[in-house]
Amino acid sequence: MNCESLIKSYKQEGRLVIPEKEAKEILELAGIPTLRPYVVKSVEEAVATARRIKFPVALKLSSPRFLHKSEAGGVDLNLAGEKEVAASFGRLSAMISPNDRLDNIVIQKMAPPGIELILGVFRDAHFGPVIMLGLGGIFAEVIKDVTYRLIPIQQQQARDMIRSLQCRLLLEGFRGADPVDQQAIIEAILKVSQLVSKNQDLKELDINPLVAYRQGVLALDARLVLH
Amino acid sequence: MEQEQYSGQIVAGTIRSILYPRSIAVLGVRSSPQQVGYNIFESIIYGGFAGDVYPVHPRLKTVLDRKVYPSLAEIPGQVDLAVIALNEKATISALEECEKKGIRHAVCVAGGYREIGGEGEGLEKTLQEVATRTNVSFIGPNTLGFINNEIDLNATFYPMILPKGKVSFISQSGGLGLTFLHRAADAGLGINKWIGAGNRSNFSFSDYLSFLGADEGTGAIGLFLEGAEDARSMVYRAAQIKKPVVVYKAGRSEEIDRSTFTHTGSMSGSYRVYRDIFSQFNIQVADSVMELVAVLKALSLSPLPAGGNVGLMTHTAGPGIVAADLLFSRGHRIPDLTAKTLESLHQLAGKNPPVVLRNPLDVAGMGFRADIYRQYLELLATDPNVDLVLAIYCQHKNWRFPTAEIIEVKEKVKKPFVVCYSSPGSYLEKERPLLEGRGIPLFNTPEEAAWAASALIDRFSRLQRSQRGPGHEL
Repeated sequence: MNCESLIKSYKQEGRLVIPEKEAKEILELAGIPTLRPYVVKSVEEAVATARRIKFPVALKLSSPRFLHKSEAGGVDLNLAGEKEVAASFGRLSAMISPNDRLDNIVIQKMAPPGIELILGVFRDAHFGPVIMLGLGGIFAEVIKDVTYRLIPIQQQQARDMIRSLQCRLLLEGFRGADPVDQQAIIEAILKVSQLVSKNQDLKELDINPLVAYRQGVLALDARLVLH
Repeated sequence: MEQEQYSGQIVAGTIRSILYPRSIAVLGVRSSPQQVGYNIFESIIYGGFAGDVYPVHPRLKTVLDRKVYPSLAEIPGQVDLAVIALNEKATISALEECEKKGIRHAVCVAGGYREIGGEGEGLEKTLQEVATRTNVSFIGPNTLGFINNEIDLNATFYPMILPKGKVSFISQSGGLGLTFLHRAADAGLGINKWIGAGNRSNFSFSDYLSFLGADEGTGAIGLFLEGAEDARSMVYRAAQIKKPVVVYKAGRSEEIDRSTFTHTGSMSGSYRVYRDIFSQFNIQVADSVMELVAVLKALSLSPLPAGGNVGLMTHTAGPGIVAADLLFSRGHRIPDLTAKTLESLHQLAGKNPPVVLRNPLDVAGMGFRADIYRQYLELLATDPNVDLVLAIYCQHKNWRFPTAEIIEVKEKVKKPFVVCYSSPGSYLEKERPLLEGRGIPLFNTPEEAAWAASALIDRFSRLQRSQRGPGHEL
């Protein structure tokens, strides 16, 4: 199974909106590191998985109907114990549609703190596929510290993307913080560019946040839209 | 890509034929100066075009003392170009007449096509079909026309005389294109070619860029753009061109695409996307007509610096601060001078000089006299930390401009200079040809001088980066 065949199979099924769990599978196949989500179908499974992967954990909706899960109240972060996990599962299961195999509750480890970036792709009416990198997390839409480039993008141009961000000082290490792994960010940019170049069916891709660390990057949440 | 380059060459050749006609027929000439058809004809005559110009109208006998022909068929001899100043429907029939006369190149001036929507879209398709069938290539429709200043040909309906030079311009808008020309005329910016792209029915921005990229008379290319569905091929083509390409893009309010699902999609804003992609392809950007003119002047006239450090000299603090602010905001450097230079400056200024000797160098009252201005300028310009010099001076009735001195210093140190003379425009008429004839662009505001310096440094940086290749670690 590779990205192309997976994407084609969703398209053939008429599934155009690909939520977090399935989107992360595609990203992993494309070589982009993700924080793996586990589908949990019952409160017992949720608790057992949480114990296995170790607290604290996050419980989230992975659903084509809730792509913006924070706004929809579909995310519970920093769950420190079994009672919290059970309560969260109960709350989220009311939002799930049981008949859709892409509608799930997923659990994942809480990631250590790093610098949150947003990395995405859309099809511009004038330019075709455009890649975007910027400051991520919930501030992304307000501060709009983002930069765009045409796909396909080359290594030096990917490096320039990082340089052209206003928050680049944060990435270089500010107030005693470690600098982030810029090479890992560049590789993620190049892999996304390759993924889009090889898949004409891919209309939009959104990785938010892509967390950058001293070593490596990790996609904490992602979604794909096909056309 | 090779196929694209080859077809780019063919298209460039066709556009060249349109811009270098030996003989022109003006269809739809009129007798009154209040009419477009009259003004196109007058423009061509007034501009001094040396070839044959044939006005065409079914009933008029003469216009501007020239014989009018009732139809194309009655013109003796060959006609290379038809400038069609008829309405949008008559323009289409005129193409049939062109075919019969063996005319393969035209300018379609009339509006009323795709830009008005509705029936206009269908009409433009018809125009394209007929043009293909009759084998007529055309600029427009919905255009002011074009100017080829090299051969004194103004084929627009705005009669004007423009200074000659190496800057060529493509405009999506007639009005903005005119504003550019008027500003260029005031600034003494020499124009080579000007093309009103209009609705781009036949030729795209990429096509015009291919032409100007290969055109010998063109040294720098400006482009005004609101939006183009073929933006991708346009930036690829611009990136292939060795000459500087400077774009002024209008249409900046963010268009939020409400049909997108993701945060990424909802954050796409058309101006920012264009701007970032321009920088990806080494296309320089201007944010105003003034900046566009200043930048094109510098890029067409001045040699490039060997680095990005600016030496700034003035005799009054304010304009220096304005220029410095602008340079810093663009990420440029105004470095400290070497100990050797500082020592020489102190020796020159003597004990207890009334100024602070550093870069930016404000020599205050010591700089009013041209000979003394020169001495400080030379020390600043010679400093090895300085790659480009920005010199500021204010016009005065009795203290003359240090033009000769600036030229001498520049030729001695062989670094690029950008000069700002704060002055009413009329006083610059004498200085400008002296300075610009030696590759020193002259401006009369510190902002324009700083934009110019910034553009030269950016061009140098971009050329360096593209020489190193895309994969190189910087």
